[in-house]
Amino acid sequence: MKCKTVEELLSPYIEDELSIEEKKAVEKHIETCENCSLLFSSMGETLESLTEFPELSVSENLLDRIYAIPSKKRRFKFSFDFLLRPSFQPILAAATILLTIISLYMFHPERNRVNKFVDRQVHLGYSKVGKLYAKAEFFATSLGEHKENILVSLNNINPLSRDED
Amino acid sequence: MLVDSYSKRVFNMAYQFAGSYEEAEDLTQEIFIKLYNSLPKYDLEKNFSAWFFTLARNYMIDNYRKTKWEKKTRDEFNEHLLSSDAFDSPENGMVREETKKIIWESLNRLSPEIRMAVILRDIQGKKYEEIAEIINLPLGTVKSRVNRGRLQLAKILKEKKERENEM
Repeated sequence: MKCKTVEELLSPYIEDELSIEEKKAVEKHIETCENCSLLFSSMGETLESLTEFPELSVSENLLDRIYAIPSKKRRFKFSFDFLLRPSFQPILAAATILLTIISLYMFHPERNRVNKFVDRQVHLGYSKVGKLYAKAEFFATSLGEHKENILVSLNNINPLSRDED
Repeated sequence: MLVDSYSKRVFNMAYQFAGSYEEAEDLTQEIFIKLYNSLPKYDLEKNFSAWFFTLARNYMIDNYRKTKWEKKTRDEFNEHLLSSDAFDSPENGMVREETKKIIWESLNRLSPEIRMAVILRDIQGKKYEEIAEIINLPLGTVKSRVNRGRLQLAKILKEKKERENEM
């Protein structure tokens, strides 16, 4: 067994997690390899030291600080936590997009051209709507003029279809 | 009560992790603030201890990443950590205290994840299953972290001993 492999097996060896064969191989290696033997004893001492670190008690001052938290928190209860709620995220996303568009517009080097372009598009839109409205009005009046004729034609359609039957 | 039963455990965990008494006190307070804020999210069907220690562990590691404590040194190995053995059998006790001092200082050389695994297993004596629940990782990964941590510490200790012998 190589030293590198033995190194990896030292901790599982201490935890008694190795198979009998692996265990024997590690023991055999440690007996002959001074370096690994020293590492093994160092690991033992390391574990011993770690287990012996004492558990400290909490100071009165810290306990007071911890007991003071709930009332402190309540006083400052109105926080901006709601901003972090998942349901608020679409609103934040929309606001970000809006701000980006506004800032792009505000800091555009050819802002006047953008303004003109928007103006023209708005006017074109207006005139298109105006034309459509005029057409609709014309269509409505012409329909009114031919109202009588249309009604007669519609009445004639039904008897004809019956004759065909 | 919640504070009494958990403050000691969280404080010790923070002290062993951060290595500074003041830092550990601040961390414990901040973790309790986080606990009060997170209590509404606690699922009653879950194990409270594991849930709280997960919260504490995550807070410590996040904080560590932000503040980069590895650049700071740990508290001197002082009266807080000195056990009574040193006084019972002075010669033997001295060697053991020296070893403890080396291990205490070397903890800072482990990465935060590995350090936390070693603290939970070897200092606090938790079971691997409990640690896996706290760290939220498979048992195999936890064991491998503990093994790596122990090996790193043992290598540091061995090197120091060898250097001392050469002198």
